[in-house]
Parts: sequence; structure tokens; C-alpha cells
Amino acid sequence: MRLFGIETEYGITRDDVSETDPVVESMELVRAHLAASFERRWDYAGEDPHEDARGFRVSGLQQDKEEDEFAKVDAHRPFSFHDMKSDLVLPNGARFYNDHTHPEYSTPECRTIRDLLAQDRAGERILLRAAQRRNHTLGGLHVRLYKNNTDFHGHSYGCHDNYLVSRAVPFPALVAGLVPFLVSRQVIAGAGKVGTEAQESGYVPGRYQLSQRADFMEAELGVDTMHNRPILNTRDEPHADRRKYRRLHLIIGDANMCEYATALKVGTTRLVLDLIERGAMPHIELDQPVAAVKQLSRDPDLKAVVRLQNGRRLSALELQESYCEAAHRELAGSDDESEWLLAEWGETLHLLAQDRLQLIGKLDWITKQWLLETFMREERIGWDDPWLASLDLEYHNVSPAQGLYFGLEAEGKTWRMTTDEEVEEAIRNGPSDTRGGLRGLCVQRFSDQIQSMQWEQVRFSGRFRSRTLDMADLFDPQEVRRCMDVFQQAHSPADALAAWSTRKEAQT
Amino acid sequence: MNHMTIPERREGPVDPMPKSPRPLEEGGGPRRPETGSPEKDSLMKRMRKVDPKQAERYRQRTGE
Repeated sequence: MRLFGIETEYGITRDDVSETDPVVESMELVRAHLAASFERRWDYAGEDPHEDARGFRVSGLQQDKEEDEFAKVDAHRPFSFHDMKSDLVLPNGARFYNDHTHPEYSTPECRTIRDLLAQDRAGERILLRAAQRRNHTLGGLHVRLYKNNTDFHGHSYGCHDNYLVSRAVPFPALVAGLVPFLVSRQVIAGAGKVGTEAQESGYVPGRYQLSQRADFMEAELGVDTMHNRPILNTRDEPHADRRKYRRLHLIIGDANMCEYATALKVGTTRLVLDLIERGAMPHIELDQPVAAVKQLSRDPDLKAVVRLQNGRRLSALELQESYCEAAHRELAGSDDESEWLLAEWGETLHLLAQDRLQLIGKLDWITKQWLLETFMREERIGWDDPWLASLDLEYHNVSPAQGLYFGLEAEGKTWRMTTDEEVEEAIRNGPSDTRGGLRGLCVQRFSDQIQSMQWEQVRFSGRFRSRTLDMADLFDPQEVRRCMDVFQQAHSPADALAAWSTRKEAQT
Repeated sequence: MNHMTIPERREGPVDPMPKSPRPLEEGGGPRRPETGSPEKDSLMKRMRKVDPKQAERYRQRTGE
């Protein structure tokens, strides 16, 4: 079973000032989570987004002209880089920080869909509670958070899904196998959007579409993430032993409110990666994948067809069915989670074709469309009414008292796949079978003795000989549990590291 | 979705989980949406409270 995780950049606004400063607000939000003062711990030495999986390194990353101007202003702010990022590692192994002027929650690495859903929901609650504390300081309900991907003015922010992949799989095989799947994945994972837009090109109201991000896809492949965004991001930043692993970093996805949509988004992608590793993916080559992403997103009737390089034309559902059928043939019976995913994937594609009303509360774009069309009938307004973009935005408000999705959830109209107890447990602890849980345990037990952290290591302070817990190749679940036992029982990081080292030496 | 005549929510699949209960059923698992009439008035009230100009005022900087 492979590891996966989700990074979500939230939209943030404050309604008691004429102009929200997203740098300050994101910083203050993250800091509101803290009971004590901020301590710089995250080590950025392990991050290098310039390496490209196609075998070269770029000298710089692109951003739009507007962001160039903002960057000049940011350079003169009275904060250090570390202050501005306010990077935190939480007791569940998640990372919570200010990324590109958005509060971001990165789940700890998960091995099961069930854990991922709980960790994703834990992130919503952690951010909500931070907003409540911030609002308490401000003296009113002024700060709002949105789990979405657009501001309806041509600015997008991401929800990235990440997967651990063997380095033995050639990158061209990943490209060939994934691009048609990702182009059509939006029929399941799209969050729905009112209107159309493009980077820095404003917003045209009307015309409901499947995806929030499709309008911002401008290339098939690329290392950039803020401009000229690609369907398949080629960033080669494994956060693991580079000789053995890749981290597939997908930036095309929408932020989902529906747990079921998150489960299928990540679960079906996991299955397709399994297919690629076995060389069993369907052989489909799209003629113009970038145009196809937008074309399919702008067709909520799901009738549009896109051209393949062999001249055939397939709809989004037909593309997904090709993958689903291949996965059934190759992966049926492999494990319980795969069985569940295969059944639900097939059922969802069937319902999209035959009776999509049954997917209300399960898929975001269907749920949002139903809500908005109901409202339009009640209020006798059309798709071009600006009220609809505001309702679209409020669907993603993470406040249970204001958010439209959470209004539906409170009425029992959505498919909960987690329990409140599981989500609270996910706030306290990371998964017990991944290094994410181990990272969280280090924070819980030895927080004041941690000097620095990266995804793949924890470095402790002190004068003992070996101070680093190396997790770059710590993926075997039994091995993770053994290491967690050691860190749970030790009186100090020095004792834990010594015991773990002895144990590993005995194994070799 | 012009054919929709809701707000009456039609019930989803009777319960997808008995067909494919694992791995999510242990310890609670997914919950099927409640059946019966949706609280249309309550949700519509929440929607009517949304400022029609909320999206127009909402500005973010480009993220990743």
C-alpha cells in the first residue's frame, strides 16, 4: 500500500477592514493556533522545487506580474522569512503554515483512505479553531476561511494530492498513464464553479462548470505551480530517499468538501498508479489535453467528447470507464480498500450517466449545482446573477454556522465517512503506521528538544552523538510501529535514537 | 441539470456500504444521508443571508 497526503491552501479574508492583508492574516491565523510563542523549527534545506522529474533543473519558477509586484512589497515587510512562514509541525504530524499568503494545512502521510479523510477533516477543524481564537482577539466574527481554489478574479490557490511512487517507474510512463485520467478525474473530484476565469484575466459570470482549477491549467507538463500551471506537475522533490522514491505532486485537483469525493479522488488515483506500476494502464493519448481539461469542465451535461491522437473521440465518462475497467481487471481482490474503491468508482460513473441526483452529498459539483439551481428557482434568478458566485464561495466557508456545505451536513444530507470521534483523534495523533504519526509523536513527547524538522527527518538538540531521526526510507508499517514503540517508551530523544540504532544494527 | 425538480432530495443508493463495506465500516464508517424532507427553509434562509456582493469583494493572492 502506498502513502499519500493532501496539502490545502485556504482562502482567508477579514471583513472589518477595507483591504485584507493576506500575509499578516495568514501569519496571525497560524500563530493563533499556538499556546506559546512561535519557535522556528522547519528546516527548508530539504525543499528544492527547481528539480524537474524530466531530468533537468530550472533556474527559476514563474509567477505572474501581479505577484512580482507583491513580492517587492513583501521584501520590505518587518518580518523575517521564518516569521512570515510561521511554520508549525502539529502533534498529529501535520504541517500548518503560511504558504504563498494562504494558511496551508498539509496532512501527515497516510496509508489508508480512512486515515486521510480523518486527517483532512482534522485540518478543517484546526483552521476553524485558529480562526475562532483570532476572532476572539479581534472582538468579532471577522476572519473567514474558505476551502476552495479561486477568488473569482483570476487568482487560484491549490489543493495538492501527493503519492509515494517507486523511482523504478520511468517518469514517461507516469505521464502516459496519468494525463488522460487526470483530465477526466474532474467528473468525480470537481468542486464545481460558477463562471469562468483565467490567470490575471478576471472573471466572466454564468456558465456552471465541474472544476475550480480547470480554468487555470495552461500546460500539459511543467515544474511551475503559480503560473503556467500544468496538468502533471514535474517537480522532483521526493522528501524521501531519492534513489528509491518519487513524490508525485498533483496540482490539478480541487479542494473537496464532500468526504466521498476526497475518497474517490485520492483512491482512484492510487489505483491508477498501481496500474501504471504493473504496466496495465489503458493506452490512451489525448490530442490536446490542456484544451480537453477546460472543455470537459465546461460541460456539466457530460456530453462533450475530446479527440484522441488516434482520431477516436471519448467523453469524460468514457475515459474514466476505460481506467475503471482496467483497474477492475488488474486489481480486483488485491485488498479491502481497493475492493471498496473499485465498487464505488464503477457505481459513481454509472450514476453520473444514469441518475446523478443520487450523488448529491457525495460529489461536490453535483451537490453545489443542486443547491444553486434550487436557489435560482426560489429567487427567480439566472446563472449570470452575481449572487451565485457569492453562494459558490459560501459553499466552501469552513464555519459550521455559515458554510453552505456544512449547512447540508448538519441536515444529514451529505455522506459522512468519518465520525466526529475519528476526526478528534486525528487532531491528537497521526496515523500509527506512517512516519507522519512518528513525526507527531516526536512533537508530543519531545517538543522542547527538537532543533529542526523536515518531512523526512527530525533533528534533536543536545550534545549526544547521533541527533537525527532519519525517515527517508521509513515506510514499512511494521518498522514504523516498532520505531514508534521505541520513541513512546524512551525517556529522552538520546535514549530513543540509541535504542532505535541498536535495533536496526541487530537487524542487519 | 435542468431536469431537477428538487429541493426534495431523492434518497441515494439504499446503502452502498453493505455491498462494499470495507475498509471504512469498522468503528463507525460512512453514514448514509438521512431520508425524509430536507430542511429546505433553513438552508434557503442561510443562502439568502449571503451577501450578493461577497464574491465581488473577495480578493486573494495567487497561490500554488
